[in-house]
Amino acid sequence: MSTCCQDKSQSPALPANLRIALAGNPNCGKTTIFNALTGSHQHVGNYSGVTVEHKSGQADFCGHNVEVVDLPGIYSLSSSSPEERVAADELLHTHVDLILNIIDSSNLQRNLYLTTQLTELNIPMLLVFNMADEAREKGFVFNFPMLERFLGHPIIETVGNNPSSLEAMKEKAIDIIAHLDTRVPPPHIQYDEHLDAAIADLEARIATRDLKHDEHISNRYFAIKLLEGDPHATAMPAIADLLPLSQKYREQLAASHGVNSETLMADARYGLIAGACREAITLRVMHRREISDKIDAIVTNKFLGLPIFLLLMFLVFVFTFTCGKPLIAILEFVFHQLSVAISTHWPAGRAEFVRDLICEGIIGGVGGVLVFLPNILLLFLAIAFLEGTGYMARAAFIMDGFMHRFSLHGKSFIPLVLGFGCTVPAVLATRIIESRRDRLTTIMVLPMMSCGARLPIYALLIPIFFPEKYQALILWYIYLAGVIIALFAAKLLKNTLFKGENEVFVMELPPYRIPTVGSLALHVWERCLMYLKKAGTFILGASIIMFFCNTFPRKTSDFTRDYEAEISILEAQADLAPEAKAFQIAELKAERQAEISAATITGRLGHWLEPVFRPLGFDWRVDSALIGAIAGKELFVSQLGILYASDDNGDGTDTLKEKLRANYTPLQSLSIMIFCLLTIPCVGTMAVVRRETRSVLLTIGQAAGLFIVAWILAFAVYQIGLFLGLGTHLLS
Amino acid sequence: MAQTAISSSQEDYLEAISEIIEKNGHAHTKDVATALDVSMPSVSAALQQLAARGLVRYQKHQPVTLTEYGEELAQQVRRRHSIMLKFFQDILMLPAKDANETACELEHTLDDTCLNRFAFLAKEIQTRDDCQALRANLQEQMPTIKVKKEAPVIPLNYLPIGQQGIVVAINESLACLQKFADMGIVHGMTVTMESHAPFGDLLRIRLLESSLSIRGEDASGIWVRLVQ
Repeated sequence: MSTCCQDKSQSPALPANLRIALAGNPNCGKTTIFNALTGSHQHVGNYSGVTVEHKSGQADFCGHNVEVVDLPGIYSLSSSSPEERVAADELLHTHVDLILNIIDSSNLQRNLYLTTQLTELNIPMLLVFNMADEAREKGFVFNFPMLERFLGHPIIETVGNNPSSLEAMKEKAIDIIAHLDTRVPPPHIQYDEHLDAAIADLEARIATRDLKHDEHISNRYFAIKLLEGDPHATAMPAIADLLPLSQKYREQLAASHGVNSETLMADARYGLIAGACREAITLRVMHRREISDKIDAIVTNKFLGLPIFLLLMFLVFVFTFTCGKPLIAILEFVFHQLSVAISTHWPAGRAEFVRDLICEGIIGGVGGVLVFLPNILLLFLAIAFLEGTGYMARAAFIMDGFMHRFSLHGKSFIPLVLGFGCTVPAVLATRIIESRRDRLTTIMVLPMMSCGARLPIYALLIPIFFPEKYQALILWYIYLAGVIIALFAAKLLKNTLFKGENEVFVMELPPYRIPTVGSLALHVWERCLMYLKKAGTFILGASIIMFFCNTFPRKTSDFTRDYEAEISILEAQADLAPEAKAFQIAELKAERQAEISAATITGRLGHWLEPVFRPLGFDWRVDSALIGAIAGKELFVSQLGILYASDDNGDGTDTLKEKLRANYTPLQSLSIMIFCLLTIPCVGTMAVVRRETRSVLLTIGQAAGLFIVAWILAFAVYQIGLFLGLGTHLLS
Repeated sequence: MAQTAISSSQEDYLEAISEIIEKNGHAHTKDVATALDVSMPSVSAALQQLAARGLVRYQKHQPVTLTEYGEELAQQVRRRHSIMLKFFQDILMLPAKDANETACELEHTLDDTCLNRFAFLAKEIQTRDDCQALRANLQEQMPTIKVKKEAPVIPLNYLPIGQQGIVVAINESLACLQKFADMGIVHGMTVTMESHAPFGDLLRIRLLESSLSIRGEDASGIWVRLVQ
């Protein structure tokens, strides 16, 4: 195997900060190569203003330190999508020493379309014919010297996960850069006589213009862009007066070629590529029906497609939540032990407030952040695997028909299903939806898919208020209500707030491939880091605030009963059995705690908000519990427990159940459950929503919107029930 | 049409009934349906109309018969058909199937004067002695005159699964025109229809060695010529 540039002294001195850009279609193995080049020395961020990811990293090219930028996967530089604009921008306006154009060798013609556009940038380029092994298997034989002449750039073959082929690529890249001075600029791609003449004419006229900060870009590039009708180029003031001329050329050429003027250049490019490929490529072996097609015959089958998809969704669900449970349990255990350790070793009586802040506020808060991590990690792994294999596109293909009725994208189905487990990873999963409007709509309605944290609420309330034969049905109706409301809300949002022309739907269905473990691992790692950094801080802050609200002001006196005295009396009583004594003492302590809780900010807020919620049938205790539930829906049950002076151990909830049954009607419980189903999501959700939508306004808007919807529906349920006299007494 | 003021379709019915009765002795509605390649309900409806006009006698579950006038009309249609058939076969030397099909269409349009003149022309060419050389020449030259049928041009969303088509025209006002062009849907490109999505509007097509999925609605703006 060759080692890279064995004799470093032979290569001429290169400039210090080399910058190499990777450009290519989606699914051409670019990311695998990027990961292989940069390993863990990569950084994923965002291009400002758009949700396109910016990936760059450091790599070692024959002893030289190189910054590698992985441009988004694009089919063209025609600026019809944010990815294309961002990539074009990067190549035109930042300094790039070399472009590595990664090409899928078995899909040559489409990949070369981008190549013809990249050549116009006049940046040194190396064409990397990737996945050469697959191409060879399919029987392709390339005449590289001919292709190099045609395209004007050197070519090298690679296999993405073969290190030695990548070493060869790096050597060649450095070689090109080292000999830039002596480089003969490649001949322009020749289209046909008339088109070339038009390009030359426009080019000459542009040369006389002052292009200001775009001067380093070749005039030919702009000439061609004018002929393409590129919106960016046609908007440039410096060449605005050439628009009528270019329009005339476009129409003339279109007429003579028998094509549309808008797609004139696209026709010319593909025509050229077809010609080149006809001459330079031969297919030795007859195409056997590929394995991918055989798999698709089953997977996108009219009858089997949907069941297979649902099965896979189920598996992802199980993988994410069930496999995550033990990890979450471990994490919770660790944090619990940490909290206990700190409180036992804390010097008694000294700054107890700080101890509580650390144990409940900070450790509780951090724990609250990290408790989502196993689910997120597993979810990203599952999604990365599905996307890497190419199945994701098939899933969208199958589900699109159904989702389209609700103005949603086919890929929206997956985050919505995940929302049944936990909204936080589900929001993060919406990244698989390319269209911004579709993504935002999905994010906005996700919390309505009844998440796992609400299940304890239903599990508590339903058995208390509904006879056994109705219990499963009520639960099912609640879940169904969430889904139906979510779907209609999505349709409404798509037609109002997120209204716009339906995004163009053109989706490639790549052949099935097995993603490399390394790629998957890196991908997941990056995502988790991002989550921890951004969402984590928000959740931590919110948890600390909730801690304060739940703790202060501290009631230490002015109780309705003298608990201390009563407890002492009980303890002194000799004739009471130890269990009965312990039970009564525990009860007294719980009552005391209830009064303390009622005096805190949360408790007071509950009282204060009572008028707002009375039409829904709630009282101040429920209101307080709801406020506590903002930190996490599962806290509703524990808050309620505290306020009803039942301790929150497993068996203590029996007392809670009795108290609830005594204080509320089935109708009220239904109203509570519906409100919990639809209302403001937990802070974890809000944090990731803010991160994914990059808009505080939308996050607040979602919370407010959900609150209003929840209020109205709970109100309707309660008032209609009262009116009809339903559910006001316990059903037999 | 022609002199009889009944529709071509009704003429076809009369023709079929007459032929079937001649062959089998009686005509069941099922036979008529098979002969004309239409559904039973359609046949019932048509026969009721014909009965109302006094051209057939029709009762459910009974064989249908022609009235006297109906028989007369049927014979007229059959005569017209056979004249045209003879002309196409004997003079134009069209293969039997094509001759029959074209005759079936024209028998409704040409009037009797025209037909009689066709018949006369055919007879003269076939029988006159001084047309011997003409007959020999026609015999030799006619079969060589062929025009290759151009494959039909259809919208892409009508391309049958497994078939290939070559793009000949794309609707300019498509919103996704540029995107399609970038992906390779341009004039002259060969496209294969691979499958339809289980629900909804999506199509899966193959071009340039990879598969794409597009909406059927958008595909209707792309015209392709079938590759035989």
